[in-house]
Amino acid sequence: MIALLRTEMTKAVRRTRTYVIALGLVALPVVIVFALNARGDRGPGRGGGGGEGLFRLADQSGLLVPAAVLSIMSGFLLVIIAATFAGDTVAGDAGWGNLRYLLMRPVPRGRLLIAKATVAGVLIWASTLLVGLAALIGGVIVFGSHPVVVPTALGAGVTGFQLSTSTLLLRVLIGAAYVAFGFTALLALGTFFSTITDSAAGAIGATVGVYIVSEILDAITEIGQIRYGFPTHYQSVWETMITQNKFSSEMVVGIVVQLAYLVVFGTAALVWFRRKDIRS
Amino acid sequence: MTDSVVRVDQLWKSFGEVSAVEDLSFSVERGQVCGLLGPNGAGKTTSLRVLMGLERPSRGTAALFGTEVRPGSRELLRVGAMVEQAAFVPHLSGMLNLRLWWEAHGGHIRDADLDTALGIADLGTAIDRKVRTYSQGMKQRLGFARLLLARPELLVLDEPTNGLDPGEIRDIRELIGRLTAEGATVLLSSHHLSEVEQTCSHLVVMNHGRLITSGTVSSLVGTAGSVYVEVDDRERARAVLDALAIVGKIASQGDGLVVDLRDGRRSDVAAALFGAGLRVETIAPTQQLEDAFLELLEMQPGGAGPAGSLPRAEQETP
Ligand SMILES: Nc1ncnc2c1ncn2[C@@H]1O[C@H](COP(=O)(O)OP(=O)(O)O)[C@@H](O)[C@H]1O
Ligand SMILES: [Mg+2]
Repeated sequence: MIALLRTEMTKAVRRTRTYVIALGLVALPVVIVFALNARGDRGPGRGGGGGEGLFRLADQSGLLVPAAVLSIMSGFLLVIIAATFAGDTVAGDAGWGNLRYLLMRPVPRGRLLIAKATVAGVLIWASTLLVGLAALIGGVIVFGSHPVVVPTALGAGVTGFQLSTSTLLLRVLIGAAYVAFGFTALLALGTFFSTITDSAAGAIGATVGVYIVSEILDAITEIGQIRYGFPTHYQSVWETMITQNKFSSEMVVGIVVQLAYLVVFGTAALVWFRRKDIRS
Repeated sequence: MTDSVVRVDQLWKSFGEVSAVEDLSFSVERGQVCGLLGPNGAGKTTSLRVLMGLERPSRGTAALFGTEVRPGSRELLRVGAMVEQAAFVPHLSGMLNLRLWWEAHGGHIRDADLDTALGIADLGTAIDRKVRTYSQGMKQRLGFARLLLARPELLVLDEPTNGLDPGEIRDIRELIGRLTAEGATVLLSSHHLSEVEQTCSHLVVMNHGRLITSGTVSSLVGTAGSVYVEVDDRERARAVLDALAIVGKIASQGDGLVVDLRDGRRSDVAAALFGAGLRVETIAPTQQLEDAFLELLEMQPGGAGPAGSLPRAEQETP
């Protein structure tokens, strides 16, 4: 298993695409920091829900920048990147015609699949943490690492609560971990798609498609409680740690939903891949 | 009783409505060089995929070294295979591809027969270039390198010269010749009679997923047929061949000789000529052998029609 993890990791890392992604993940937060810094209307920002509210606060302290950046990027860009890693797992080798050669050695298919998915998972976590780290470093350099006074939504700048530097740092770290973990469903789904097609682009596209549909439908509250089962529904509940000074219990539900997807689609991927006729 | 290296027993494989292999049985014994001959779509690749544990049979079995093959069977370690074209991870170098392929199963590349493999691939400094930059012929040679890493007892080669240019085809054929001369057991599929006939001792002929016939090359053609040879010294060659028991009538044709064989293989003729120190320019089956196979295919139930015919050997046949 360790041998498989090592060889699959080498294949995934020694790839121009991986470096381009890493570069982008560092560059984007830096650009955002510059843009925030150049913004004219300094002044007490207003906390609101979501990334926008976080952005308005971000120039109070660099420690808020990673939270704001992760909030924005977890909705789209990181989805695409995570889907790229997940959708590529099996279909990448299949597309090159290399899968049959991998499987001509006595390598158990289940183990190969788990190794590939693990590598994709590691890359997804690395991407999320990298983006957070770049934002943190950039933010602290430009805005410093001050404590933050977060205005509560009702009191216009008057009432609020303070988050100390260390509290903020810890919560940002937990938030980043939650965001990364929030791609578990996507990883399982993308890996599953990757086993049923020989086209990596197809698997990646299908995964991104499911996420976009999930996000769109999730925005329609009339749909009702089904939305709570969508993989993206609890995506940003971590932000209340910062915007409302409270750990939402929905974070736990979010983790459970992710694990449920992992079990269902992980099993489906394993079952399918082990029975599959390998033609590529 | 020793086990056959390969034993395919009443194998069926269908994809929905399409039946790719129907009731196929054959075996390959140790030391044999067996050709799996059939036109495109005959079911050769499908049979080899089942043999390598890549596809599950619909019915019947395929066994390697006496053990039924399943996905990931241990017996696969003793087989070096190339099913359809060689393929690699394009963004990695040839060398790293070999290393990762070997090490995925555990162990270190230094336990593999890397020297032989690299010698066979003969890629020079290109071995450190990304595979993306390789020609198909280079990939094919790297494919041979990969399958030799594990010092295999059986080579399974699926149309290894498909899609190559004439120079590359020559290289690959030479390579196969070298490997068979070293005594490897080989199962080689092809839709060119000339290709299998040059190298194989035994043939399994299939069409439309079914076995047409199998046996030694000479038994299949009834007479061993005749060969066309071109050498540097024709008259001395005539004298050498006249002395061979397996040779019947010898006639001149163009720059060469048409030699009727009573028995034996073309390689016996080649060996005699080489042994006498003659330089052999060409040695190829004559049209009779091709015709015998075309008849075999056309005689089968259902009739093959033009699409099911074997293509005639290209430039080799005078
Ligand atoms: N995955 C598949 N789905 C449907 N039909 C297939 C599939 N693979 C092969 N076939 C069919 O099976 C037959 C045998 O194919 P193949 O084994 O590739 O033949 P060969 O290698 O002798 O050219 C062909 O008619 C082909 O179209
Ligand atoms: Mg084929």
